[in-house]
Amino acid sequence: MSDNVGATPVGATPVIDGNEPAEETTRVAEEMELREVGEAERGSAPDEVVIAISPAFGDQLKRQTLTGIPHAAIMRELLAGIEEEGIKARVIRVWRTSDLAFIGHDGTKLSGSGIAISIQSRGTTLIHQRDLVPLNNLELFPQAPNLDLPTYRTIARNAARYAKGDHPTPVSQWNDPMSRPKWQAISSVYHIRETGFVKKGAKPVELEVTIKEPDAASHAAEGAR
Amino acid sequence: MLTEGQRQGSGRDGQGGAKRHKRFEVLEKRDVNKDGFVKEWPEVGLIAMGSPEDPEPSIKIENGVIVEMDGKARDDFDFNEIFIANHTIDATVAEEMMAIDAVQIARMIVDINVPRAEVLKVFTGLTPAKIAAVMDQMNVVEMMMGLQKMRARRTPAIQGHVTNIQDNPVLMAADAGEAGLYGFSELETTVAVTRYAPFNALALLVGGQTGRGGILTQDALEEATELQLGMRGLTTYAETVSVYGTEGVFVDGDDTPWSKSFLASGYASRGLKMRFTSGTGSEVQMASAEGKSMLYLEIKCVMIAKGAGVQGLQNGSISCIAVPGGVPGGIRAVIAENLVTTCMDMEVASGNDQSFSHSPYRRTAKTLLQMLPGTDFIFSGYSTVPNYDNMFAGSNFDCDDNDDYLIISRDMKVDGGLVPAAEEDLIAVRNKAARALQAVFAELGLPRITDEEIEAATYAHGSEDMPDRDKVQDTKAATAMMERGVTGLDVVKALAKRGFRDVATNVLEIQKQRVSGDYLHTSAILDPEFNVVAAVNDLNDYEGPGTGYRLQGERWQQIADIRQALGPDDI
Repeated sequence: MSDNVGATPVGATPVIDGNEPAEETTRVAEEMELREVGEAERGSAPDEVVIAISPAFGDQLKRQTLTGIPHAAIMRELLAGIEEEGIKARVIRVWRTSDLAFIGHDGTKLSGSGIAISIQSRGTTLIHQRDLVPLNNLELFPQAPNLDLPTYRTIARNAARYAKGDHPTPVSQWNDPMSRPKWQAISSVYHIRETGFVKKGAKPVELEVTIKEPDAASHAAEGAR
Repeated sequence: MLTEGQRQGSGRDGQGGAKRHKRFEVLEKRDVNKDGFVKEWPEVGLIAMGSPEDPEPSIKIENGVIVEMDGKARDDFDFNEIFIANHTIDATVAEEMMAIDAVQIARMIVDINVPRAEVLKVFTGLTPAKIAAVMDQMNVVEMMMGLQKMRARRTPAIQGHVTNIQDNPVLMAADAGEAGLYGFSELETTVAVTRYAPFNALALLVGGQTGRGGILTQDALEEATELQLGMRGLTTYAETVSVYGTEGVFVDGDDTPWSKSFLASGYASRGLKMRFTSGTGSEVQMASAEGKSMLYLEIKCVMIAKGAGVQGLQNGSISCIAVPGGVPGGIRAVIAENLVTTCMDMEVASGNDQSFSHSPYRRTAKTLLQMLPGTDFIFSGYSTVPNYDNMFAGSNFDCDDNDDYLIISRDMKVDGGLVPAAEEDLIAVRNKAARALQAVFAELGLPRITDEEIEAATYAHGSEDMPDRDKVQDTKAATAMMERGVTGLDVVKALAKRGFRDVATNVLEIQKQRVSGDYLHTSAILDPEFNVVAAVNDLNDYEGPGTGYRLQGERWQQIADIRQALGPDDI
């Protein structure tokens, strides 16, 4: 089954459930370039949110989440969500760990506003704030298979609003009791593979992100909204 | 025999794939094929039992100190191994016990002529690798025989989850009341929104003691909050103190076996029953298994729990169940971890508490491993509410499975911990529990519970049937209630003042238990008269046919007499 994961269209489940996957009506960004531009510094701008990505996010493995959402498409939504709240986004990669909480916590320490979003390759995400203990957070999205592109954009908007000092309503989540049987074992393999890219002791690096827009670029964003 | 042409199919389907066998197309739509399966990957510990990286058993003792364990010198021990060597293994008998063949120890577990106490003595002197080797000798039927003999309490029991996605306290009280009539001995709740925690504890306490005096209640939360609620007399036990089989995972959680032991004594010294939690798959899920098998690492967790001196352990993979569930032999490893817990003379709350499969066959087959032999708690969380309301992300069985579970008990003449309850009795108890909570809220100055809410909770299937509450007002009041220092005794007074004297008496009795502390004994539950039933006065004495716990008498009649069965006069 894990072999099928890579071949799955966005938003559809790779598990055979008797339903034909829905026709893809919009195209999303599938590729991006991540260029390392040196060690990530602590930002001083109070109007920035850091997006802290895990060691393999974006350019390793199959460059997509558990459910097959391209990392590039997620990055696009995160950047757009932050920017449409009038906040600047900075992207860094944390190398020293693949643990979501600690990636996020490292991100907050570099963020001018103290707010960071962290995301793992499998799609698991959280919003963190400096001065919280590592295993605490502002909002946690533990069931990656339940997250779609519009949700990532909403998560980014909320992060930006925290940076502005607002108290946004937490992004609503949905509890799927069958998420565990479907995904837990596969998710473990995914996490182990990602952990293989960890560089112990390495400092976080600043990234320059170029998203390669799909042919019908603007439509993808509309669809995501 | 197929010719090559037939095997290939004479043509291709519309999508350009190979022509499909129609039966496979049907099979692929079955529930079981919605589950996720993975291949073994021993190098990272994605293997249930017997990883090539698991050590060979060994022990060396010098001057009463374990200087080598499982092929590793003491100087190379990680902190789990130091803890186990210092606090769990009895160095005075270890060499003698380690000298017994693994297969011989496995046979002792199964042999009805070897008393439980003798097996316990052997296990005080075994290393983790030796215990893994013993388990590897056993098939699941032998392990079930082992559980039947080795569990601590003679009478099996069951724990239930009571939660709802809205944290609606009225519904929670009604559901706790219902669970009491169904025969649950312990009830566990948790929160959707953390700030609701005090209300959830209160609703479970009042609803639980309305349903059945003596039911023990728990609010699974961040550890400090949970301890505080217990000290206030709003809960009576805790089990969400987790331990792990590798140092890496412990350190990720800012913990050690010593910090967990300290926390355990914090609960026990304040009269709160407590057990640890662990389970196969947690280390590999956190990419920190060091190439060791899931069971080998879990055995270390069991031994840490024993060394910490806690009376019991919740295991059976628990929230990682789909990890062992996804690999070959994984569910066998899960019953093995339950069995090891009993062989270390601890209470086992044996899992079955998390959604594990889409397939009702897999779900049932897995549960039979604990249900048929019986354990101290067959489920460490049977969902007494519909799974959409289960805030532990769903259990293996939920309230919609009650009749299936009860009829399986009746078919097999096995005590699964549940008893049938009549619809009119359940309606009555739900209504009373909701009204009792309404009274407590009114007396304590908490946000009003309306008669409309009582009516809805009385007949509800789940939170979808409940009117919305003002959550901002509720959570503010819950915080204020903690700041005001409301305790279990305030609840007693409120109930008594508003005419719920029987419920008040039960809540008071629960407070007294925390003072006497008798329910801190291994595997303790309370009967409806608040008598402690534990491994002290109800020690498992199974020694083959004619001994041990037998489902009989009035209890069997209760389970046998289901509402669905027709009598001669009904025809």
